[in-house]
Amino acid sequence: MAPVGDVGALLDGFAAAAQPQFLLYALIGVFLGTAVGVLPGIGPAMAIALLLPLTYTLEPQAALIVFAGIYYGGMYGGSTTSILLNTPGESASIITALEGNRMARAGRGAAALATAAIGSFVAGTIATVLLTLLAPTVARLAVRLGPADYFALIVVAFVTVGALLGSSVPRGLVSLGAGLFLGLVGTDTLTGQQRFTLGLPSFADGIDVVIVAVGLFAVGEALHTATRMRHGPVRVIPVTGSWRTWLTGDDLRRSWRPWLRGAAIGFPIGSIPAGGADVATFLSYSAERRLSRRKEEFGHGAIEGVAGPEAANNAAAAGVLVPLLTLGLPTTATAAVILVAFQAYGIQPGPQLFGSEGPLVWALIASLYIGNVMLLVLNLPLIGLWVKVLQIPRHYLYAGILLFAALGSYALNFLVADVVVLLAIGALGLLMRRYGYPVAPLVVALILGPMAEEQLRRELAISQGDLTSLVTSPFAAAAYLLLVGLVVASLWLRRRQRRAEAELAALLDEAPRPVPTS
Amino acid sequence: MSSAAPAPSPAPAPSSNEGRPVGELVVALGALALGLYTVVGSFGIAVPSSASVMGPRAFPVAVGLLLVAAAGLVLAGLARGRRGEAEGGEDVDPGVRDDWRTTALVVAAFVAHLALIEVVGWAFAAAVLFGGTAWALGARPWWRGPLLGLVLGLVVQLVFAAGLGVTLPPGPLLDLVPVLNGRGPGG
Repeated sequence: MAPVGDVGALLDGFAAAAQPQFLLYALIGVFLGTAVGVLPGIGPAMAIALLLPLTYTLEPQAALIVFAGIYYGGMYGGSTTSILLNTPGESASIITALEGNRMARAGRGAAALATAAIGSFVAGTIATVLLTLLAPTVARLAVRLGPADYFALIVVAFVTVGALLGSSVPRGLVSLGAGLFLGLVGTDTLTGQQRFTLGLPSFADGIDVVIVAVGLFAVGEALHTATRMRHGPVRVIPVTGSWRTWLTGDDLRRSWRPWLRGAAIGFPIGSIPAGGADVATFLSYSAERRLSRRKEEFGHGAIEGVAGPEAANNAAAAGVLVPLLTLGLPTTATAAVILVAFQAYGIQPGPQLFGSEGPLVWALIASLYIGNVMLLVLNLPLIGLWVKVLQIPRHYLYAGILLFAALGSYALNFLVADVVVLLAIGALGLLMRRYGYPVAPLVVALILGPMAEEQLRRELAISQGDLTSLVTSPFAAAAYLLLVGLVVASLWLRRRQRRAEAELAALLDEAPRPVPTS
Repeated sequence: MSSAAPAPSPAPAPSSNEGRPVGELVVALGALALGLYTVVGSFGIAVPSSASVMGPRAFPVAVGLLLVAAAGLVLAGLARGRRGEAEGGEDVDPGVRDDWRTTALVVAAFVAHLALIEVVGWAFAAAVLFGGTAWALGARPWWRGPLLGLVLGLVVQLVFAAGLGVTLPPGPLLDLVPVLNGRGPGG
């Protein structure tokens, strides 16, 4: 439990975040985040990466508050897109959103949007409370961790993000290795030797993580879409009725338990380094389906299948902030981009953060609460605006994404060379997406790789080359045991997921499929 | 993130996952080559005498070996017919053939943009990138994209100059505009 001092610090954080100009920044953040999140093809990671350059002129506190808003707002916007857009994607994370899409097609889009929004608010708030209680305690414990312990944690993150999450283990590992390689490029911090810089001065300081993130997420996504673009008019499912009457009493009765269960599933999964929201949404979806007395509705628009996963998704997003803020470990691509944003201001998340930058962190956490409330108030009434955003013609949308990606990387140092690197990374992102290599491991490895090497070398210097010292610390040993447990659990999960997907596919085949308009 | 698609489309859509996996093979071999390069390149890193137990070479060697092993597994999987699943998305049509021509046009617009930034100015280079991409992706009539791109570019350039105090390259034409050339009024 959090000592009393933390409550006082949180209240101070609220006092800071509630200043009018910071409230305005939070509002700008959630608005931008939702708008960009609503745009198809742009996830929260890409939203933050694209908007990163815009914040360089803000002071750190204001910028972090904007990012907190973008982070939560991007999540909200994404669910709106998958519910209202008549083109369900194919990736597993969208399986759950399919349920909302079915509801919308059955004329219940308003209820789907409402249960997603309120569920996100409820679960997001619960998870933020848990973050508030847990993070300072974790940070206090983390101060005692040695290099071997950190190395163990990073190895756990590598294996879960690289090998356990995607559909193909070898491809995840290739992506991980490519990220580790890009992390090697530059000057070795311990000996000052240049590594893999090809003698080019622009690589001497390493490859800028912002460029890699924008290249993979924005340029890679735009190029990938260009290879197989869906042509024809954008079909948005109309939403009828006033937003005040969207959720009936019956909907509410069916929704509140899934919201709470989603929060309970999402937060722990987000906060262990085992890979973010996809797993949480999937687990919540299958839990709701198993517990429901109306199993026959699943696959045809069951409100529980929207309420639970949307809640789990947001709770996991808050959970991801626990290892990020207290250990400095990003466990998802989005968290990795947020870490970059911190570092751009010379702030290093980790156990020291709550001590050295206390007021800043508490203001950030306070603004998460505030942003959640703003999102709930903003989103339902503004749905008409988001529908308009959804209808942006795709050729202009992707042209705009490329333009702002190019602007962002050029504005870093005003070097055309950076834009060349951006295009090269974008081409890599295209090939990876096209041939089934997940991009998240690359971004996570790019950031954690240099940290892993540093901790490893530090530990071996302390122990004078004794490799057993890597596993003899109790914490490190526990982390490796956890890893073994995770591998076993994921093998089991993978079997279950395959079965669930097969059942879902069977359900979908019964229902009419969307007709391609090209 | 990418994961297995729930099921193959029931309609026999033309998919580029049929036929020989040339593209996949090239990418996997590229990963293998990168791994080998990393291992070999590691031995070219100078090790100063001050280096402690673990020098600057060991970690790169490990990374290279990981890449070689993982790429080997992908290649072995390909040999047994295990293909990668292209990532889906709201605007990605899973049922069409790869349109590499469009992609090449978009890349060409991007290359033109970065070559032109410092020659004609950022706003005009922006018009080239935006217009070229929009046209390649199907925007008609052809002039609307570049026009929108130019307006967007000028607005961005103005916001950067007036709001953020940052000067994007104005190019010869806008160099005469005091706000945009970074030299202040009358400069």
